[in-house]
Amino acid sequence: MRTSVKAMPIVEAIHVLAAATVFGTIFIVDLRLLGLPDTRRPVTVVCREMLRLTWGAFFVALCAGLLMFAANAHTYYGNTAFRLKMLALLGAGVNMLLFHRLTFRNVAAWDQNAPVPMAARLAGATSMILWVSVIFLARWIGFTKGYDFRIPPNTHINFQF
Amino acid sequence: MHAFAAWLQASSASNTIQSVSWVIPLLQSIHILMIGVVFVSSLMIALRVLGLMRVDQPFEAVWHRFAPWMWSALIVMAGTGLLLVLGEPIREFTALSFWIKMLLLAAGVTSTALYGHALKSGVRVRVRGSAEFSAGAKAMSILLVALWLSVVFLGRAIAYDREVWGALSLHA
Repeated sequence: MRTSVKAMPIVEAIHVLAAATVFGTIFIVDLRLLGLPDTRRPVTVVCREMLRLTWGAFFVALCAGLLMFAANAHTYYGNTAFRLKMLALLGAGVNMLLFHRLTFRNVAAWDQNAPVPMAARLAGATSMILWVSVIFLARWIGFTKGYDFRIPPNTHINFQF
Repeated sequence: MHAFAAWLQASSASNTIQSVSWVIPLLQSIHILMIGVVFVSSLMIALRVLGLMRVDQPFEAVWHRFAPWMWSALIVMAGTGLLLVLGEPIREFTALSFWIKMLLLAAGVTSTALYGHALKSGVRVRVRGSAEFSAGAKAMSILLVALWLSVVFLGRAIAYDREVWGALSLHA
């Protein structure tokens, strides 16, 4: 992919767009968990509506991200912003898992027109902070990773044209 | 245009943005977060027009839920975008993608405002005697989402003007 001058901008644009969609859709769920703008719309409905879009966009972002990683794996791996981003992603995953396994189980009690329990509010706020961090760290990678122009060992290059 | 860009790039405001290493990534990050808000808000409105999301709510409720977010995020996006242009005017002004993006952005903002007004008033956008939107209104909502998608793609393409546009690129 490094050698294809057109592939990078396309893959990057898809990655940015998909990541922005993940953030935007999950933000709606997080806001609802904070009781915003109100508690009239059931949490279960908001989650069902949004999370299918979130997962769809996440899958696209993941595929594009893997392609970007494959093109510059060595430099990404050694990059601090990249490592922190992966950590933030992992944190967002754990936060979501804990929320769905523990807090969400008794959602019937606070699904609609009821104050959201503290644990769910905390999950919403944590998710917001982590996803904002993911986007910030992701953008930082582009300014700190540099490019790897080294030719892999045992590569035969023919300079005769 | 290049002379103007060069003058702007030499200005002290531009120099501040360029020289403080974290300013441009910070502005770009905020810009991307706002893309998420604008794009998803317009997507929600479009999906409601298409009858695919929040059909249990009247359209007006969906509009009032998402339109303020969309407009506020657009303002923040314009603000961070302006600062980014100020920081790197030559990079932006000499990219064909930038100018097409600005053109589509103007078209997107104008048509969203006009379309939103038409949707709210309900005149000529609903199937007669029904709550459902007309085929034209549905087509327009798909077109607007496509327009925002193009704006995002062109935004990323600014960094790769010559690679994307080849001979058409404005890069000297």
